[in-house]
Amino acid sequence: MASRDRLGTVSAFFREHPRLRTLAIAGPPAAILVVFFALPLVAMLVVSFQTGQIGGAWTLENYRGFVGSETYLTVVWRTLLLSAQVTVIVAAIGYALAYSIVRFSRRTTLLLLLVILPFWTSYIIRMYAWINILQSGGVLDSLLGLVGLPAVGLLYTETAVLIGFTYVWLPLAVLPFYASLSSLDPDLIEASKDLGAGPIRTFVSVTLPLTATGVITGLVLVFIPTFGSFITPRLLGGTNNIMIGMVIENQFKSAFNWPFGAAIGMVISAVVVVLLVLATRLGGDLLGDGGEPS
Amino acid sequence: MSLLRVRGLTKRFGDLLAVDDVDFDVADGEFVSILGPSGSGKSTVLRMVAGFETPTDGAIALNGEPMVGTPPFERDVNMVFQDLALFPHLTVAENIGYGLKQAGVPADEWRDRAGRMLEMVRLDGYDDRMPTELSGGEQQRVALARALVNEPALVLFDEPLSSLDRKLRQHMQSELQRLQAETETTFLYVTHDQEVALAVSDRLVVLNDGAIQQIGTVEALYEDPQSRFVADFIGDVNTVTARVTDATDETITVDVGSDRVSIPRSVADDVAIDASVDVCVRPFRIRVGPAGTKTTEQSETDGATADGGDLDRATDAEIGETFTTTGTVRSRSYQGSDSLYEIATDEWGRLTAEVRSNAYEPDERVAVAWDASDVHVFSRSADDRTGDRGDDA
Repeated sequence: MASRDRLGTVSAFFREHPRLRTLAIAGPPAAILVVFFALPLVAMLVVSFQTGQIGGAWTLENYRGFVGSETYLTVVWRTLLLSAQVTVIVAAIGYALAYSIVRFSRRTTLLLLLVILPFWTSYIIRMYAWINILQSGGVLDSLLGLVGLPAVGLLYTETAVLIGFTYVWLPLAVLPFYASLSSLDPDLIEASKDLGAGPIRTFVSVTLPLTATGVITGLVLVFIPTFGSFITPRLLGGTNNIMIGMVIENQFKSAFNWPFGAAIGMVISAVVVVLLVLATRLGGDLLGDGGEPS
Repeated sequence: MSLLRVRGLTKRFGDLLAVDDVDFDVADGEFVSILGPSGSGKSTVLRMVAGFETPTDGAIALNGEPMVGTPPFERDVNMVFQDLALFPHLTVAENIGYGLKQAGVPADEWRDRAGRMLEMVRLDGYDDRMPTELSGGEQQRVALARALVNEPALVLFDEPLSSLDRKLRQHMQSELQRLQAETETTFLYVTHDQEVALAVSDRLVVLNDGAIQQIGTVEALYEDPQSRFVADFIGDVNTVTARVTDATDETITVDVGSDRVSIPRSVADDVAIDASVDVCVRPFRIRVGPAGTKTTEQSETDGATADGGDLDRATDAEIGETFTTTGTVRSRSYQGSDSLYEIATDEWGRLTAEVRSNAYEPDERVAVAWDASDVHVFSRSADDRTGDRGDDA
């Protein structure tokens, strides 16, 4: 009884003070965001304008050094290309997978479960499994040998990194693809065919535009983490700094040039934000002026 | 030559025989409805004509050309879907012009034709609206326009009016007829709603359990149903169980309760002596009079009032040509010019009678009669096959 009375008092109090209620609800998550996300970002921004070490003099040298270096820009470019490749491959496989789960299968739940099943295993363990498969004389080479093909020894190549990324991010893309494809009315596809559009035209003018939201979500979910990744390329791609995430990691862990690492991080973040905005715009255009499909 | 020719059409889904050896034709310019209860296979027939389902067996020909195996986008057929299936990301004009665009018609021409089609369905100026901004009735019109604008040989309808309220549905029915006349297109319409089918169709194909029950004009199906199912499904019908006692070339004679009536052969199934039959009669064919009166000149008032005591009842009774009995009015419902009476008869169970008079009150005793020439007689085994009485009609 007493606790119920107290509860009544509390709710009455908040009814009379709606602003306090809003604060009580929104306050804690906002505080978490500020402390663990906004403040570190600001700290990194500050550090990126300092010389040599934390607390050094103010300078633009870190940015100038990064933007002026052809080596680094090449790495950024290669990272962009690799991320784009990963995104396209994952999107193609993921869309086909999601499409068949929706259109042709009665065991949807089971198949979706299988898609997300790898998440139950540690990422590092899965990567070591891939090392085992891809290394020269590994599982892949043995299998190739069985059918009389020469060994390839893919480990520590860009192809290995590509395979690793595709494997890791596929479920991340399949889920939003599946969500938008399963809400697509199959009658719309039939209507398109009935009106004279073949399968490819139907896909381009009905299926794809009506699932654009899910497709773009999936693309963004794959592209962004790939772009900033450093563990996968380190494990599967060897010691060469083929991706910009690895360069940043080096600055913090080996070179101990935190300001320079922070500056690269800021530039990369800016690039990602710009790409994100472009992707959202593209999504809006594909959906037309009518906005969200019902 | 008929525009659409369907022969031996059969579709199995695993063990389920959805469509069973269906034959029918649709002539150029005709409005034909496929009418049947839910699960009768009527939508499957339509989807096979559209090309969305492949027949297990049988042939479909459009203008003499075999259609089976031709994909839907290469058939000169357009469909109005049950849920309309308007593209939500395209404007009204883009929806209507979709088919023309696929056919390679230039943009200014398809926009122009979409605009004119919108005038025809009385939605002038709706070109740039989005489908979601339209009411249910307006969406129906857009869906219609989208099918008609391509000038297909045949337009298919998969119960598109079922989601509308009664008044709007009746309005759209007359719109459909007007549009069919104006565009001179052939319509094949699938529905479980006999009201819609009767109102709009030139001919009906009645389907039950995947098989055709009867094909004919609305009048033929109503006046001369070939099975108990059709009699039940097209309009309302009363059923009285009787036993055949005699059969000649001209008539059959049945015992029904204490009455013995002779019925013209023309309205009866081929039945054997001693067979149990259903005698069906439409509510508006039944006459009602005050108890003890003759409801017709030739009616057997003696038989009608004799309940129980008459031991050698039908055997010696004169064979009449009228069904007569007595009963008690259970309920009355006013239907404008007519009244519907639920009457519990003393011998034949409950009947529904539709008569001009509003004079009888509930619990009042009445005499009931109808002419033998107005009934339809079906053998009971046919009844057992057709099963339930089509309450969803």
